Amino acid sequence: MLERCLGSRRLRQMQRAFRRGTLTFLCLFLTVIVLRGTIGAGKFGTPEQDLNEIRQQLYSRGRRVEPHRVLEEVQSSENNNDNNNYATFDITKILKDEEAGDDEKRDPNTPYTLGPKISDWDEQRSSWLSNNPDYPNFINPNKPRVLLVTGSSPKPCENPVGDHYLLKSIKNKIDYCRLHGIEIFYNMALLDAEMAGFWAKLPLIRKLLLSHPEVEFLWWMDSDAMFTDMAFEVPWERYKDHNFVMHGWNEMIYDEKNWIGLNTGSFLLRNCQWSLDILDAWAPMGPKGKIRDEAGKILTRELKNRPVFEADDQSAMVYLLATGREQWGGKVYLENHYYLHGYWGILVDRYEEMIENYHPGFGDHRWPLVTHFVGCKPCGKFGDYPVERCLKQMDRAYNFGDNQILQMYGFTHKSLASRRVKRVRNESSNPLDVKDELGLLHPAFKAIKLPTSS
Amino acid sequence: MGKENGSLHNRSSSAVLPTTATNSNSKNRRGRQISKTFNNVKITILCGFVTILVLRGTIGVNLISSDSDAVNQNMIEETNRIIAEIRSDADPSDPDDKDNTFFNPNATFTLGPKISDWDSDRKAWLNQNPEYPSFVRGKARILLLTGSPPKPCDNPIGDHYLLKSIKNKIDYCRLHGIEIVYNMAHLDMELAGYWAKLPMIRRLMLSHPEVEWIWWMDSDAFFTDMVFELPLSKYDDYNLVIHGYPDLLFEQKSWIAINTGSFLFRNCQWSLDLLDVWAPMGPKGPVREEAGKILTANLKGRPAFEADDQSALIYLLLSKKEKWMDKVFLENSYYLHGYWAGLVDRYEEMIEKYHPGLGDERWPFVTHFVGCKPCGSYGDYPVERCLSSMERAFNFADNQVLKLYGFRHRGLLSPKIKRIRNETVTPLEFVDQFDIRRHSTESIESKS
Repeated sequence: MLERCLGSRRLRQMQRAFRRGTLTFLCLFLTVIVLRGTIGAGKFGTPEQDLNEIRQQLYSRGRRVEPHRVLEEVQSSENNNDNNNYATFDITKILKDEEAGDDEKRDPNTPYTLGPKISDWDEQRSSWLSNNPDYPNFINPNKPRVLLVTGSSPKPCENPVGDHYLLKSIKNKIDYCRLHGIEIFYNMALLDAEMAGFWAKLPLIRKLLLSHPEVEFLWWMDSDAMFTDMAFEVPWERYKDHNFVMHGWNEMIYDEKNWIGLNTGSFLLRNCQWSLDILDAWAPMGPKGKIRDEAGKILTRELKNRPVFEADDQSAMVYLLATGREQWGGKVYLENHYYLHGYWGILVDRYEEMIENYHPGFGDHRWPLVTHFVGCKPCGKFGDYPVERCLKQMDRAYNFGDNQILQMYGFTHKSLASRRVKRVRNESSNPLDVKDELGLLHPAFKAIKLPTSS
Repeated sequence: MGKENGSLHNRSSSAVLPTTATNSNSKNRRGRQISKTFNNVKITILCGFVTILVLRGTIGVNLISSDSDAVNQNMIEETNRIIAEIRSDADPSDPDDKDNTFFNPNATFTLGPKISDWDSDRKAWLNQNPEYPSFVRGKARILLLTGSPPKPCDNPIGDHYLLKSIKNKIDYCRLHGIEIVYNMAHLDMELAGYWAKLPMIRRLMLSHPEVEWIWWMDSDAFFTDMVFELPLSKYDDYNLVIHGYPDLLFEQKSWIAINTGSFLFRNCQWSLDLLDVWAPMGPKGPVREEAGKILTANLKGRPAFEADDQSALIYLLLSKKEKWMDKVFLENSYYLHGYWAGLVDRYEEMIEKYHPGLGDERWPFVTHFVGCKPCGSYGDYPVERCLSSMERAFNFADNQVLKLYGFRHRGLLSPKIKRIRNETVTPLEFVDQFDIRRHSTESIESKS
């Protein structure tokens, strides 16, 4: 019938066109599906997400559990079991910013500064110290007042056991600092959103130096570094003419420009004008975004063996020292006679050997002061090393340090891998006659210097 | 598709036919067959290829070997396995250390060999060691003891709040010159759980004669008044300072008359003796169970569960009142322990009306989250209420610390901070104004 209306030729043309159209449409449809499958299509999601949603729907229909709705019904006083269950709770539900932060974004054309330039800090500080004799910057003639600064994110770790390791790490630092008369500042605040990540320590350090003039040395320590020699006291007199002490090697910085020639995970910074100046010189590579990325490229190009990633504070310091040796090098001490920072990879397997052959107090390869778990990132989801090795070794390092604390009280861990403790010294009815082996209960470096009365 | 094949084929063959008039019939047919087959095969391959691509996109059927997904999956499983192992109670080096032998109920439990002359021994030691005085700059030396179990919490958020809690204590103690001992070891497996503090307190007293006061504080208690200083001169004649109410204790015999979540013990013979008589209800097993029954029977409002240190102390103070109460100070003029439920909602009101340094209901010294148990799996209160209240208490206290540095949290539930004071070139004027330490000691000196 159609043939008669349109003529066979026209009909055939139409059929041809129709078939071609169908074919085109089919191909287009298939292309869309394939693209969605491979690269996803934004808010239309990927097929994997579809599958997950379908799965969730099927499961939830099966189990009749809707956790979100349960939490909204929390207002009632009945103790619904799921309300009280910590495991199903999502902390981000309760955290919220009520007040807006610094809405004025810094003008990207003006160079970044940590704060207004201070040029007379040494004078300001010394006059403050003379007005406040109750807060001397030296506790003893050879012992400066030290503030240990460390920190972590105010949000829970992504790794479920990350916070537990942060807790053990701060306990370890509390123990060392109690023995050595050092104060601790645990930072959980991001002072400057532009200097996030490893750069966050710079604005914090500057702020602490300026707010605590009584502090002579600020000791920054990463949260993944642990003290493993509780008896070692830092040789403060060695640094009386220096302002910045880091673990590193002169040759690796000035000759090789190696990006791991020093480590900024554990360093000492004197509270003085020079330190404020070096912080100002250090900061410009830090601001998040284009500046940090571009700086990263420069650093990878200039430094030996550095992989490609955004600028980090350690590489920036290597670059700063290598290019500005005359300006800064004189007051920088690169310490390598003891492990102010000890890379964990070469230390953790030797703990048993150290226990057998040596004793605490050396601070060096025989008994490291600090074991620093660089690259482990226990708080995040993925680090540079296998999770098992990292976490188990962190346990061992923690126990290795903790044994030195527990021995003061007559206990020790059952083994370096064990959480349990066992008694190694019986209780005595004359406790004051008992001395602990390492002399850490009342060490000389903690004694209060008495005013010499004649 | 078949129909289309056919129609396609028809189309092609009909396009071919008129122009190849000279082909013989058989050759035509062969040619047609070949091209038909060829077309079929082409279309089959095309369809097959497209199917594979689509399948790969949806459910990831990897015909081309790409290991990254498999590796990721393996890594995630491995991580989960290790985390589960870390979280379990099993000790890798001690597979069968399960003490199935409980403390013999017939024997009396002791914390250690009896010491009877601690006061004189301690005094002699202090005389011989003048570089370790018990009073530093006019203030008695205090040691804050707190702790948590050695294994990770049953859920990750618990560890996070333990971390925030210790940071809170570090801040207070730095501002007030108090040393901290964070205990993560069970010194005595008999006295595990809430009883674990007893052997540790005794051990610290005996090892640190230079310490005048040992201050136990629970891990779920937060300092919320960073300026408030303990009025130690009030306690010159007392050896145990604990938050409590005399009427609740003596008249009502309530099991919550005092709170052992935050208390101070003087380092002296009296304290050692009290610890010795306190401990016997503690040993795990039948002793603790039986003691629990006695306590439930004698104390008002106590539910039935094993003996806890708080009920045991109440029972002890009630039954041996004449012996112990004269040296016990029941403090309730400030919140040495502040029950959180009545306090956390009022923080904004407090900020508006009052100021730090009061320590009482106007600005609580300590906010104690009894019953929340964030380290366990289940608490006595809804999770959202507990966690948001703990976050608020933490930020409320943190604001007082950050004030010196010119920052404040963006709301009591916010982990982010905002600037409240611009940077200046003369930061020391603000240090003089806002440093809590200098104001506390000044108030001390003016009192003495």
